Amino acid sequence: MGKRLSIIAIGLAFAALTGCATTGELEKVQSQQQLDSAKADQAVRDAQAAKAAADAAKLQADAAAARVENAIKLAEEREKAAAEREKAADEKAAKAEAIFQRSMRK
Amino acid sequence: MQRAPDAPLPYNLEQSSVPAREIEKNRFRVARGDEVIGRLGVIKLEKGDTLPDVARHFSLGVTAISAANPGVDIWVPKAGEQVVLPLRFLLPDAPRKGIVVNLATMRLFHYKEDKNALVVTTYPVGIGTKERPTPMGQMFVQRKVSRPTWYVPASIAEDHRKKGDPLPAKVPPGPLNPLGECALYLNKPSYLIHGTNKPASIGLNASNGCLRLYPENVKMLYDDTPLKTPVVIVNQPYLVGQDNGVLYLEAHKPQEGTGALELEKIYAKLKAMEKKGVRSLDWKKISEVQAEARGIPVPIEMGQGDGKEAEKPVAVEHPAKLYGKPEVPELRPDAWYVLAAKTKDETEALRLAAIINHQGPPIPALVLSKSEGHRVLVGPFDSSIAAKEAARRLKIDLEIDGIVIEPDKKI
Repeated sequence: MGKRLSIIAIGLAFAALTGCATTGELEKVQSQQQLDSAKADQAVRDAQAAKAAADAAKLQADAAAARVENAIKLAEEREKAAAEREKAADEKAAKAEAIFQRSMRK
Repeated sequence: MQRAPDAPLPYNLEQSSVPAREIEKNRFRVARGDEVIGRLGVIKLEKGDTLPDVARHFSLGVTAISAANPGVDIWVPKAGEQVVLPLRFLLPDAPRKGIVVNLATMRLFHYKEDKNALVVTTYPVGIGTKERPTPMGQMFVQRKVSRPTWYVPASIAEDHRKKGDPLPAKVPPGPLNPLGECALYLNKPSYLIHGTNKPASIGLNASNGCLRLYPENVKMLYDDTPLKTPVVIVNQPYLVGQDNGVLYLEAHKPQEGTGALELEKIYAKLKAMEKKGVRSLDWKKISEVQAEARGIPVPIEMGQGDGKEAEKPVAVEHPAKLYGKPEVPELRPDAWYVLAAKTKDETEALRLAAIINHQGPPIPALVLSKSEGHRVLVGPFDSSIAAKEAARRLKIDLEIDGIVIEPDKKI
């Protein structure tokens, strides 16, 4: 019985001794955990910010592409209109020339 | 589509330029064996020039100058634009005696002996239409008449009657006479070589089979041609000849319906030349020259690396005034006018005014530009009768419904 009590006492003393060391480590772990958590939060925030920036950039790129598309369409329309105008002018000139040549007959 | 005014021409020019009066345009000595005469010129256009005006000054027809300058607007070319003067000619394949006319090139060649040398004088001509073509073959000058009267042929009288423009049975000498100041009557009845009251028609298919010359040219031909002079009329759109050891091809747009046969003939001739083994021909070039039909002699041999060189065109100075160019009249508030057109397009207005100015007899026209557009005004006229007569001609000849404007009326 006495032997059992001494073993318990030694165990308690050891536990008390080792219990001090475990608390320090626990704090360290907790601190590390907090740091990791903060880092994770930051990473999430960074990821969210990056996504938001990417979304914004995509929107911008889409808008720019739409503007370019529109500009191309307008340029094509302008070119088509100019070609039509040139064709009409050429036809008018050819018609005027044909009338002129007829007028040169006796 | 116009060529840019500053775009270079596909030719190397001689470094020095010559005054317009010094470039040979009509009279050339022909040594035995010569097949090419004259030289190409290049001139820079000025504001208000038209190709018919440049053509007349340099004794060229309007088709010849426009074929040599594809893409250049006939009536409203750009100031500063360089145009080629196709004053280099391959002589037609015909006897070098009397008058030879090549319908395809719309050019007359008059051969004469001069102090034991052969001289050729050449002029552009206007020829018959598709419906009433100029006849080909051997003829001679039967009679010559200065200030001829025009006895209107029944077919022409009928055409005019249908247009609502009846003609008298005969037209006396004067500005309304289409024969101009001189006429050489050929032995083939009803066919003449004559002047014109429509100089802008030289180089066109516009006659009823006769050959027309510029007024200044027909006078020279008339004075220089005795009765019985032989006249040969040929149709040769493709001409081959050599000068200074260089072989040239000159291609013109063939008269309607004659292209295939003439092309076959010239290819046969060229193949025969090559078969003789003397020359190696550039067939790609030949095909290009034929397709472009610019009426300019082009070297057609493979690699001219034996010292032989095609002659370079010469830069010609613009004359102070182009011969025969219609004067654009001043605007006079006290005169009668005819409003021929209103348009927002300045080029269209300038073209119409130029066409009206080049009628025969001339009808004065100008462009009045305002912020809301451009008006083509015909006049000035001193009386309503003259204005109404101009309006009638505009309607009959150019299908224009003009509005007669009284003096002082706001235009």
